Amino acid sequence: MIRNFIEWVMGPMGRIAVLITALTFFSLAAFGIYQTQVPPDQPIEFTHKLHVGLGIQCLYCHPGALRGPSPGLPTQTKCWGCHQQMEKTFTSEKLAVLVDYVQNNRPIEWVPVAQVPDFVHFTHRPHIAAGLNCEDCHGDMTKVEIAQNPQVLNMGWCLNCHKTRHANEPEKLIKLTDCGTCHY
Amino acid sequence: MSENISRRDFLKLATVGAATTAVLTGCGPASRYIKREPYMEMPEYTYNGLSTYYATTCRECAAGCGLIVRTMQGRAIKVEGNPNHPVNLGKTCPRGQITLQGLYNPNRVRGPLKHARGEGLYDTNFQDAPPNLSWDEAVQVVADALQASAGVAFLLGTAPDHLFDLSSELANSIGAAAPIRFGASSIFEARATLSKATEDLFGQAAMPFFDIGNSDLVLSFGANFLETWLSPVAYSRAYAQMRRGNPKIRGYFIQFESRMSQTAAKADEWIPIHPGTEGLVVAAIGRLVAEAKGGEMPVAFETVDLNTVISEAGVRLETLEHIAQLVVEAFTPIAVPGGGALGLSNGLQIAEAILAFNVLNDNVGKPGGVSLSPLSPNQDVYHSPASAQEMTDFIGRMNSGEIKTLFIHGINPVFELPTSLGFAEALANVETVISFATFPDETAFASDYVFPDHHGLESWGYQRVTTGVTQSVLSGAQPVVSPNYDTRATADVLLAASQVLPFKDEMEFLQSKFAALVGQADGSFSAPEINTFTAYFQQHGGWWKTTSDSVSPSAASALGTNLTVEPAQFAGEGEFFFLPFISPTLGEAGANKPWLQELPDPTTTVMWNTWVEINPETAHELGIENDDVVKIISEAGEVEASVYLYPAIHPEVIAMPFGQGHTAYGRYAQGRGANPANLLGAHFNEAGDLAFAGMKVKVEKTGRKQSLSRLESRIGVYGEGMGEEHP
Repeated sequence: MIRNFIEWVMGPMGRIAVLITALTFFSLAAFGIYQTQVPPDQPIEFTHKLHVGLGIQCLYCHPGALRGPSPGLPTQTKCWGCHQQMEKTFTSEKLAVLVDYVQNNRPIEWVPVAQVPDFVHFTHRPHIAAGLNCEDCHGDMTKVEIAQNPQVLNMGWCLNCHKTRHANEPEKLIKLTDCGTCHY
Repeated sequence: MSENISRRDFLKLATVGAATTAVLTGCGPASRYIKREPYMEMPEYTYNGLSTYYATTCRECAAGCGLIVRTMQGRAIKVEGNPNHPVNLGKTCPRGQITLQGLYNPNRVRGPLKHARGEGLYDTNFQDAPPNLSWDEAVQVVADALQASAGVAFLLGTAPDHLFDLSSELANSIGAAAPIRFGASSIFEARATLSKATEDLFGQAAMPFFDIGNSDLVLSFGANFLETWLSPVAYSRAYAQMRRGNPKIRGYFIQFESRMSQTAAKADEWIPIHPGTEGLVVAAIGRLVAEAKGGEMPVAFETVDLNTVISEAGVRLETLEHIAQLVVEAFTPIAVPGGGALGLSNGLQIAEAILAFNVLNDNVGKPGGVSLSPLSPNQDVYHSPASAQEMTDFIGRMNSGEIKTLFIHGINPVFELPTSLGFAEALANVETVISFATFPDETAFASDYVFPDHHGLESWGYQRVTTGVTQSVLSGAQPVVSPNYDTRATADVLLAASQVLPFKDEMEFLQSKFAALVGQADGSFSAPEINTFTAYFQQHGGWWKTTSDSVSPSAASALGTNLTVEPAQFAGEGEFFFLPFISPTLGEAGANKPWLQELPDPTTTVMWNTWVEINPETAHELGIENDDVVKIISEAGEVEASVYLYPAIHPEVIAMPFGQGHTAYGRYAQGRGANPANLLGAHFNEAGDLAFAGMKVKVEKTGRKQSLSRLESRIGVYGEGMGEEHP
């Protein structure tokens, strides 16, 4: 039985079947990888490029980054504070979605793009306090339309930065490469 | 390896397979696809991206532990104990932690509705019934019901206290009968017996406080104070203090109970006495202690016959003498009555014998001894929950047609009360039943209207702390999140409907109850006027005295009367004594929370089900094995459950946890396990509490097997399951 199957696989039809299977797997894999690289669909096509380009500071909408673990997402009242004064809000097709959310008092279901696994305790505050800018990790948002992640947020990437920035400060280096600093 | 496939080809194929598997499984974290809803309108005092913490009071039982709930963007995330709260000092029990699963429970009553009695509040797929009334209509229904004031009755649970106070005032002003409060915990804690015993011995009805924390020898007679009894977190703290608080002495702990409970498992000595002989045993130890101390024998212990005790209780004289010796040598010995010891026909005598034993050891009103719990700051007299006897009288009033409209809040009597009391049948004689249930429980199913109250974490209120601490405590509750559904505070509904009380809403009523505390200097905070007081009350999670003000009762005459402890009467026919106990994990209302269901029982490790504990030797004689389904028959009814062979139970006793066996109550609770309350007959002790441990039952094999899911190995630590059971 097995011998017959192997003989068939080694024959011309078998080789084609193996090729098709392999191609299927590869394309699925490629699709999977692609999926991790494209920004997810958001309920509103919010353009960071435009808002940051207008001179709005990151911390205006994400103030938690300065004080705690999570930067936070802006409330609808914050969006509406500016947008209700703009004529375009009520004429633009893209902004109709926002108007719909606000007027029907429905929460906007944003999909976060920069994620670390649950076993990592990431805190924004010390990073800002150490003088990092938002774009050092999140990329230049003046060039990005819908929020996307410029790099894979894995441990090697964290450690790489910790090591290069503090190569000459052994005390800090020890603290910042200790497992318990992030995994506790 | 076949000769047609080369080693090289094989390796190639294997590599391709491994690579594709690795790539496919590594397509990014699942949390990538979560959604986050920010605030629509953020309260001013929150800061975007930072958690906000609220102090409130746990409502999973009546103990009144203080909680700190972490919220993020308007959602309750995590519950911890309030470190400053005198009851729990930052600790919680599992039920407190899991109160969040009540808040987010998929089966909640989503708004006011009217339905035919017995009709479900969710469909077969557990999708909740949509609300079919507006709140204006609901308030009108309540208003119409309150018009016929004489026929109105309130049946409340043991929490929250502010609603009890409000309905008391309401009932008083419309001329209706005073509200009655009850719950399964009232049955299993026998609070009425404790308060009657203190009244008889100390001349003052109050909830006794047992200061085990400062004691160096604790004799517990069935009191499961590390599980659910009275104030489990406070007593667990005290237990730790007893063991480790004094660097010189490690407190010694002896538990008398016919089944090894979680509390008994923590004891240094577990004495499995014959059921119903707790009173005899304590009297015998009392006599031996009095003899060892010398002097005149107190009248209370004069008539004790040691030989009778030894044969009745099944303990050896050496054991009693050894314990008496420990008592004599201890600095502050204390005896604690509770649980199954009080749920007997002679439960009051047992409680009195145990209190008299404390008097003999001269610990009344002293550190490490018995005192009376202080009243709460805004309380004038101790309100004990109703006894089972009073509840039965109430059911009699329902049956006589005297009660036209019944308001039910905070209790699920159709499930919690023994069927033999006939509550479900009595409902048929009540014209209108209005339930304020948060969850679709059995009683809500059997009601005409359901006007859901908020969940405890969405509610205002306060809870009086009746035991567990020596200072006077009023524990405060506040909403930590805005209501998830179209629910409304029952206090607001009653106020809007009655229009007789001078309060605009619940908050105004609460403030009226705080008025006397404004300006008081001896509390956790002091505020000059009511709004400041309310703000501090929210911030601190309540108001409490900073010094002990427990009452030291007069115990002079306690030893002067003869203690007669008659043998306990057991109802029904059968070879086994039946000992139901409240599940340490589920409590009375935890069955709809999956984390609690998944939490293994501390002694048997069983999850998600009801079991019957039978001694392996007894089971062997009957030919019963682990996981056999047996039928337990009492005079009141019968239930079926799987057997758990439990070596740590008296051979003549079988035990069953209370908490499962729901026929409603949502997707996690319904149709799971069996309810031992169906086996309990309507027998009471002298204080009117149910003699729940005073039943005898028969056990019949059904020939079926139903495996219990349990955490421990099936082979067991005693090697059971290795022999003929599973050849």
